[in-house]
Amino acid sequence: MNPVPEDFDALLKLMALKRHEQPPPGYFDRLPNRIMSRIECGEGEPSFWEKFQGQFIFRPAFAVGFAMAALSALTVSVFYSVRTQPLGFAQAPKNGWRSAAPEEAMTAGYNLSQPLHVASWIGNESASNPAPSLPSLFAPGAQYRPLPVSFASPP
Amino acid sequence: MISAFPLWKAIFHTKAELTKSTALPRADRQEAVELEDVEDLVLVRGAQNEDMRAYDTLVRRYQQRIYATVYHMTSNHEDANDLTQETFIKAYRVLKSFKGDSSFYTWIYRIAVNKTINFLKQRKNRTQMSLNDVDFNAENDPDLVALVSERTPRRDLNLSELQEKLNGALLKLSEHHRMVVTLHDIQGLSHEEIGKIMDCNVGTVRSRLFYARQQLQAHLSDYLK
Repeated sequence: MNPVPEDFDALLKLMALKRHEQPPPGYFDRLPNRIMSRIECGEGEPSFWEKFQGQFIFRPAFAVGFAMAALSALTVSVFYSVRTQPLGFAQAPKNGWRSAAPEEAMTAGYNLSQPLHVASWIGNESASNPAPSLPSLFAPGAQYRPLPVSFASPP
Repeated sequence: MISAFPLWKAIFHTKAELTKSTALPRADRQEAVELEDVEDLVLVRGAQNEDMRAYDTLVRRYQQRIYATVYHMTSNHEDANDLTQETFIKAYRVLKSFKGDSSFYTWIYRIAVNKTINFLKQRKNRTQMSLNDVDFNAENDPDLVALVSERTPRRDLNLSELQEKLNGALLKLSEHHRMVVTLHDIQGLSHEEIGKIMDCNVGTVRSRLFYARQQLQAHLSDYLK
C-alpha cells in the first residue's frame, strides 16, 4: 500500500515558494562585472587540455592526423621490437662454457659441463657423493669476477 | 589544373577566420544594451572572436537562470555565487569548442549542471543552507497564503519556516532527482530540454521526476495536509 497520494497539486503549489527566493538586491547587476573581470584577469584562458580538446572538436583533420601518427608510432615500435633480440639473451661462448670460466674455477677442477650460473648441487641427494664445497662469497680474500649470463641452452 | 588549396583551407581554417564575418564591432561594455535583441549564435560567434562585449551580453542574458538552478540545487547563496561565476568562466574557456549543434542555452546549462553535481558529490553530506530571502510577492501568492494559513496543521508556521522545511526536503533527494525537480517544477523546463541538458532520455526524466515528487511529498506530508 502506498501511503503517499500521487496527486502532486499541493506539492507543486508549495514548490512555487522556491521561485520567490531572490538574491540580495543589485546582485545581478554586479555579477557580470565580476565574471568579466575574472576572465580579463586571465582565468578565461583555456588550459592546455582544453585547447587540445578544442582542436579535436573543431578540426577533424587534426584528430585524424593525430590518430594516424599514433598508429604509425605503434606499428614502428612493434616492428622494431620483433627484430631486436631480447635483452640478456646472450650467445654461448664459441669454445663452450669452460672457456668463459675463471682461472680459479679451472684449477679447482669444477665440473663445468653446464653454465656456471646453474648450481651443480641442486637436486643432489647422494650422501656418498656430496656436493663440492665452494668458497664462501663472504670469505676474506675471496675474489670473484663477473661472468656473462645466458638463459640459452649450451650447444 | 585544380588547386588543392581551397580544400586545405576548408579543413584547416581557424575559428577566427570562420567567425570574422559575424564578428561584432568593438564598443564599450556600457553599450551592451544594444545587443539585447541579437541572437545567441551571433553573440557566441562574436565571443569566439574575443569580443568581450558579446560575451558580457550572454552572461547578462543567462545569469539569472543559471544562478537559480545552482541555488536551488545547493540551497546556499555563496556556493551558487561561486558556481555561477565558474560556469561562465569555464564556458568562455571552452567556447571555441561550441559548434552550434545545440542551443547555447542548453550548452551552458549542461556546464552548470555538471559543475553543480560534481560540487555536490565532492561536498557529500556536508550541507549548510544559506537561503535567500523570500520576496514580497510571496506573501500575496494565493496558493502560498492558503498553504500557510489554512492547510498547514501548524497555523503559526510562517513563510520562512516553510521555506526552510522545503529546502531541507530537497536536500534529502539525490543530486539527479533534485536536478530534475529543479529544472522542471521550479524552472519550468520541458522534459525534452531536461533530457538534452542531463544527457538522458525523456523516459528517464519522467521517472526521476515522479520518484522525486513522491519523495518530497513523503518528506513534507505534515505541511501538505
